[in-house]
Amino acid sequence: MFKNEEMEINLGPQHPSTHGVLRVKLRLDGETITHCKPIIGYLHRGVEKICENQTFFQGQVWTDRMDYCSAVANNLGWAEANEKLFGITVPRRAQYIRTMLNEFNRLASHLIWLATHALDIGAMTVFLYAFREREDILDLNEAFCGSRLTTTAFRIGGLREDLPPGFEKMARKFLAKFETCLEEYENLLSENRIWKKRTIGVAKLSAEDAIALGVTGPVLRAAGVPYDIRKAFPYAAYAEMDFEVPTQTAADTYARYLVRMAEMRQSARIVQQCLDGMPEGPVMAKIPKILKPEVNEVYHATEAPKGEIGYYLVGEKGSTNPYRFHVRAPGFINLQCLPKMAEGALIADIVAAIGTLDIVLGEIDR
Amino acid sequence: MTDPIVPQPEAAPEAPKGPYVYDYAASPQRQVVMPKTVPLPSRRTYLAEVKAAAEADEAKWQKMLADFETAKTKAEAEGKDAPKPPVRPVPRKDDNDMKTPWPEEAKDADLLLLQACLGAKVEEVFEQAGELTCQVSKDTILEVLLLCRDHADLRYEMLADQTATHYPAATGWDYSVVYHLTSISRRKRLRLRILVPEGFIPDSACAAYPSANWMEREIYDMLGITFANHPDMTRILCPDDWEGHALRKDYPVVGWGQRDIAFREDRGGMIERIALQKAGQLGINLKQPKAE
Amino acid sequence: MPTPTLSQSLAITLIQCVLVVLFVFVVVPLTVFAERKVLGYLQQRLGSTRVAGGHKGVTGWMNRGMWKWGRIPVLSYWRGIPGLLADVLKLILKEDVIPAKADKFVFFIAPALSMVSAVVVFAAISFVPGTFFIFPSWFPGLAGLPVSGGIADINVGLLWILGVASVGVYGIVLAGWASNSKYPLLGGLRSAAQMVSYEVPLAISLLVPVVLSGSLNFSEMAREMAIGLSAWGLVPQLLGFLIYLTCGFAETNRLPFDMPEAENELVAGFHTEYSGMKFGFFYLAEYINMTVVSALAAGFFLGGPWLLPFGLQGLFNHLLPAGSWLAGPHAIFFVAKIIFLLFTYIWVRGTIPRYRYDQVMTVAWKYLIPMALFNLLLAALVRCAV
Repeated sequence: MFKNEEMEINLGPQHPSTHGVLRVKLRLDGETITHCKPIIGYLHRGVEKICENQTFFQGQVWTDRMDYCSAVANNLGWAEANEKLFGITVPRRAQYIRTMLNEFNRLASHLIWLATHALDIGAMTVFLYAFREREDILDLNEAFCGSRLTTTAFRIGGLREDLPPGFEKMARKFLAKFETCLEEYENLLSENRIWKKRTIGVAKLSAEDAIALGVTGPVLRAAGVPYDIRKAFPYAAYAEMDFEVPTQTAADTYARYLVRMAEMRQSARIVQQCLDGMPEGPVMAKIPKILKPEVNEVYHATEAPKGEIGYYLVGEKGSTNPYRFHVRAPGFINLQCLPKMAEGALIADIVAAIGTLDIVLGEIDR
Repeated sequence: MTDPIVPQPEAAPEAPKGPYVYDYAASPQRQVVMPKTVPLPSRRTYLAEVKAAAEADEAKWQKMLADFETAKTKAEAEGKDAPKPPVRPVPRKDDNDMKTPWPEEAKDADLLLLQACLGAKVEEVFEQAGELTCQVSKDTILEVLLLCRDHADLRYEMLADQTATHYPAATGWDYSVVYHLTSISRRKRLRLRILVPEGFIPDSACAAYPSANWMEREIYDMLGITFANHPDMTRILCPDDWEGHALRKDYPVVGWGQRDIAFREDRGGMIERIALQKAGQLGINLKQPKAE
Repeated sequence: MPTPTLSQSLAITLIQCVLVVLFVFVVVPLTVFAERKVLGYLQQRLGSTRVAGGHKGVTGWMNRGMWKWGRIPVLSYWRGIPGLLADVLKLILKEDVIPAKADKFVFFIAPALSMVSAVVVFAAISFVPGTFFIFPSWFPGLAGLPVSGGIADINVGLLWILGVASVGVYGIVLAGWASNSKYPLLGGLRSAAQMVSYEVPLAISLLVPVVLSGSLNFSEMAREMAIGLSAWGLVPQLLGFLIYLTCGFAETNRLPFDMPEAENELVAGFHTEYSGMKFGFFYLAEYINMTVVSALAAGFFLGGPWLLPFGLQGLFNHLLPAGSWLAGPHAIFFVAKIIFLLFTYIWVRGTIPRYRYDQVMTVAWKYLIPMALFNLLLAALVRCAV
């Protein structure tokens, strides 16, 4: 008499909580997800092909537009991959400034994550609190390179310009108040019963699964694997910095929340150290105006806020363009684990799972 | 039952058969410049190049010496002053902070271990820019990946990245597929590389590393290499009915119908010509009647 | 006092209805406005300020006058009020889209059901016990006649309120079903389960005032709870009040229980396919329901039209001189309490996240119902003992 039927439903590509144009094909049994398949590509612009037809210098603007929430981290990876390709040594002051801006950018990216993730779960006020602090970081970006979101902050071989006057004061002012702001967010969320109910035990991903699926970044660290490229393969000035890699073992959404909050504290610490120990000197290495590589291929990975962002470059002898340019986008790889997190959970949990992965479709589709 | 209010889709108008306007392939923007070289880093080719360069240098020097000798004897015969003896040219030294990384001999224990374990299956090992590269035979890639994952002294747990490159100028093969492995416990990276010809179907890495799933789909989407035993070998970024593979070197940068005309300056009256031509195909006469 | 004829009493009832509807339609837009502003201030922003009137006319005078009130940025509190008018205008003028595959009759009737059931509840709510005002002698036809504080202060008022309010569930369920779309269907199903579940603890928690006052009449109960209790009503009632308020949040689909329209999961839940004034009806119904829940809470648990809640008024009245203004019931106290509770709704919305669907059900069946039953038992014991 009665018949059970599964309902197929499309979460996205236009949906309030898919953070862009992600489409997830769900099959639902009541409210339980029995099958989940992410479908991507709605924002595919062919960044790799475009960069292969532009010079090494021009490619950087495209990295801004991949993960637009953490443009500086993308710029850093790009610049360092090129420097590895050409064998350029970057001055120490430029390394420090890069490190500092990268950490500011990590703060901004994590703040966006916190804001949208909390909004997805229904905590509306955190969204605006987090954006308030992010605004200050964007002001710092603007002071440094004139642009707030798509920064194009660095150049191959160093920086275009030194820090502007007054930057240090702005940065210190921000750091002085940032700790209290973090406490404000934690007061709203960390011990909130509903927040805990919605996040503890939700979207679990064990360490074995995470490593097998190539997941990196805070999602991996929340599973108890202390893999941070800043520590494992130090780049820029991270070898000289004193910081910790926060980990959790619960491997659920709440653990990822704790890891990211702790990471923000560590980032603030690194920025403080950069400001205190800023060396003097030039900010640009001596390099020719036109760069032509020898035959070479490099893969350079850096720790973006979302995970490992890797640039694979193949240089052709005598050509000003990269022969092959490939980005290992952290979101692209991390999103693979969404079915593992969501299947068997409720429809409200997939929203938490998408939020906790911290995806940006610009870098997934490239 | 059809609802009368629901507008029923009309039958799609029959698409006019091409060539619509003019031969797109003849468009200067769509012409593809194919690469002439094979920029595949390799110690063997590097050594050969260095050797050839040294030989060419030596030959040039010998020729300069010979020229000098002949000039000297000629000058002596004619009773003029002897010409200056030649100076061997030294390569120009650039004053910059660049130090080009060349392929170096493999000294790392991992590479040596791989060479020892796999023997003839390893085609080449070298280090460049601090990165380890191991090129293996294309049939054995899955075996090598499993070895890298499971060997007690290697322990490469994670496949960080997998991608491919198109080398149309190469002979005997067309694509290189590279696997970037990361060992989290040992803090090491390793690059595995295979060279595959067009039409060859390498084994999928999914059996060893599940993370290869989407990366191989992307390679298939972008370069058209299919992988054997892959769970879902479909396009991932482009739509399913997309034609061609975008990251091949023979794929034009300009799309169909885009930027074929510089709209700002229609000097040759191209827009008008196209419009007239298209209207003619549809059976409309747009040409203004000439005044009698 | 003259006895009114049938036509006179009909006219008086009509006037009462107009007054109540006016009250509702004044309070609801102001709640919407307050929601924007209060949320804005909770979140360190200004709320709606764009539509602020010009430099001429009434709004211009208001704007200019406001600037001069010292250093307090009073202006930003009032800016945006004309936006309410614009919102209503937009809702009325907007194209009313009906999906092609929708069940048109049910799709049409659902918002009306929601709206009507929300408004009709006010029939049994009396703002002031007894006479509200007496028509002056110059009034044609109705001179000297009294107007009571509620439209129909019937002796089964609570039954009427609960019965009619639960019809509102049908509006939401039918809206979700009739849209013939997947997200509204999920929203409708959620609301069916959720609202039926929360009816139970809500009704049980309202039984406590019934037990304590021994009546079902609204004004009778409000009086008993405010000044009739011989002991402090606070002790047994605090739990009941909290349970009632929680269930009220769930019944009106407000955060943290806004499952049927959880925008981050179900786009807009049951009203995804609605637009124009049909959507406006759901929107209005939600806010009217909030007002109803607040009115019941104010009447039963916060002392209704009397100044002090929880039976404190009864203790306090001995100390006041007879005939004091503070001792008697006043509609203004009642409305003030409603407004405070409406503020609580907004306050909660700005503070806490949303429950998951299964957790909502857990809260209802595992915690609220046992607690409400225990509370009822406690109240019955207190009643017997006293």
